[in-house]
Amino acid sequence: MASGVTVSDACKTTYEEIKKDKKHRYVIFFIKDERQIDVEVIGARDEEYDQFLQNLQAGGAGECRYGLYDFEYMHQCQGTSESSKKQKLFLMSWCPDTAKVKKKMLYSSSFDALKKSLVGVQKYIQATDLSEASQEAVEEKLRATDRQ
Amino acid sequence: MSGAVYGGDEVGALVFDIGHNTTRAGFGGEDSPKLDIPSTIGVWLDSHDDVTQKRYNIGITSINVRRSEMELTTFLKDGMVENWEIFENFLDYIYTNALRAIPNDHPLLITEPPWVTHPKREQLTELMFEKYNVPALYLAKNASLAAFANGRPTCLVVDSGATHTSAVPVHDGFVLTQAVVKSPAGGDYLSAQCRNYLNEKGIEIVPPCMVASKEITKSEEAANFKRRVYQAKLTDSWHNYMVRQVMQDFQASVLQVSDNLYDEEVVKTMPAIHYEFPNGFHKDFGVERFKIPEPLFNPVAGIKSGIQPTLGVGPLVTTSVGMCDIDIRPAMYGSVVVTGGNSNLQGFTERLNRDLAAKTPPSMRLKIISAPGATERKFGAWSGGSILTSLGSFQQLWVSKQEYDDGGKAIVQSKCL
Ligand SMILES: Nc1ncnc2c1ncn2[C@@H]1O[C@H](COP(=O)(O)OP(=O)(O)O)[C@@H](O)[C@H]1O
Ligand SMILES: [Mg+2]
Repeated sequence: MASGVTVSDACKTTYEEIKKDKKHRYVIFFIKDERQIDVEVIGARDEEYDQFLQNLQAGGAGECRYGLYDFEYMHQCQGTSESSKKQKLFLMSWCPDTAKVKKKMLYSSSFDALKKSLVGVQKYIQATDLSEASQEAVEEKLRATDRQ
Repeated sequence: MSGAVYGGDEVGALVFDIGHNTTRAGFGGEDSPKLDIPSTIGVWLDSHDDVTQKRYNIGITSINVRRSEMELTTFLKDGMVENWEIFENFLDYIYTNALRAIPNDHPLLITEPPWVTHPKREQLTELMFEKYNVPALYLAKNASLAAFANGRPTCLVVDSGATHTSAVPVHDGFVLTQAVVKSPAGGDYLSAQCRNYLNEKGIEIVPPCMVASKEITKSEEAANFKRRVYQAKLTDSWHNYMVRQVMQDFQASVLQVSDNLYDEEVVKTMPAIHYEFPNGFHKDFGVERFKIPEPLFNPVAGIKSGIQPTLGVGPLVTTSVGMCDIDIRPAMYGSVVVTGGNSNLQGFTERLNRDLAAKTPPSMRLKIISAPGATERKFGAWSGGSILTSLGSFQQLWVSKQEYDDGGKAIVQSKCL
């Protein structure tokens, strides 16, 4: 079951700009008029994770959003002293516990449409509080699928 | 959009959440249902002038009427409509008497259990379009609605209602039907256990309507009350229903699930709760507060009579997750959504948390999510449906009358996933 909300072309274009061209660090999406997912904020390549979190929550405690982030971390290959930089794209749905049921309903029933439009995302994260959205929590989730 | 699509933002939709205990019905877009009525119905034979007619008493007041030989029954079995004749009378009551709405004016969303069968869905679709002439219909899985309302399109929904407790994996809003696990133990099971227990202790449960007057007595002293005597020949099913109402109040007020595996030495130290029955008898309840609900989580401790839980709530979850694709298991443990009226039992979520924490693989995180209030959990599926039908984007998802006419009742299988 889904909400029938659609995804704007701008979402796909911005996504490609991050995925292919590494032009931005992240993008925040919102649902416009309960009908279409659209781009709200684009984060420059040199922005920090904290700025992403701030923008994700800019609507206040009662609001939900989606965020896509090009995440980088160092990966240590087992048995060697070498480490390599890893990049992974994650897509997060941010539905805080404090959000109105109407918002939670709208955003969670539309998440699938966004997932289907942005092909090639490595990890999907559902966050309802900061313990799930923090840099550490996200990194842990991304590392979980790395080969040891 | 094709012409067949239902074009109706004009009038609000109706939303029906049909449960074994009660049915919630109201207008889409509103915060709470207009109606929360028993899904139990009174059936009796009306004979005069050599004509005998079946009559139905529906709604809380009508089923409380003391009518000779009125049997209380339900139209549901396993969460699905079984007796269509009674169900139609029930629908007539909701539309005409309760909501005062004309079926043809409002698109209708009805919730359904995760294990609903294809023939049942098609039969319901046929009824709503053919007999009631609804302009549009949608059948929504109650677990998907609960998942969305809690902000988690991918999660494991634990629904503890009147007749079942189930573990239902939902992925991107879709129920993974093959991995649904359920146990026939919910609130009704606890009502029966409470009744057995009180019977064994010689405590008679007299429904409020049978008490004419009562005197104040000391704790544990025999009740001193006057019994109301009715001329009507009241049936066992009627009496059982009235007793169950008392038991439901007792359950909500007295029972508590032990934090850990039931241990008499531990629960002995917990505070007792004082409870007064409708006939005035009152006493403290101690260890039994914990002992009665324990089988819900740990079936071996069960007293053998009637329905028995097959799996505890924790094992329901772990079994269900074990049947899911290995890739999504972490997401399931990471989002366990607790819903249903019986999950309001004191200590339910805490115990589930303990039992699951011990079973969650070390590489995975456990997170239990539940709506804070008792009404939110009771009305969770209804509110989810109410919001969904009010979204502009949802209007294209209805099965319209036109589509039904063109595609037949099987259309519901492809449109309502
Ligand atoms: N506050 C409460 N504490 C304990 N049990 C409750 C509470 N509220 C409701 N229940 C129980 O929940 C059950 C009904 O749950 P519900 O989800 O409404 O069922 P259904 O959907 O099958 O009608 C009943 O058995 C009732 O006794
Ligand atoms: Mg229910």
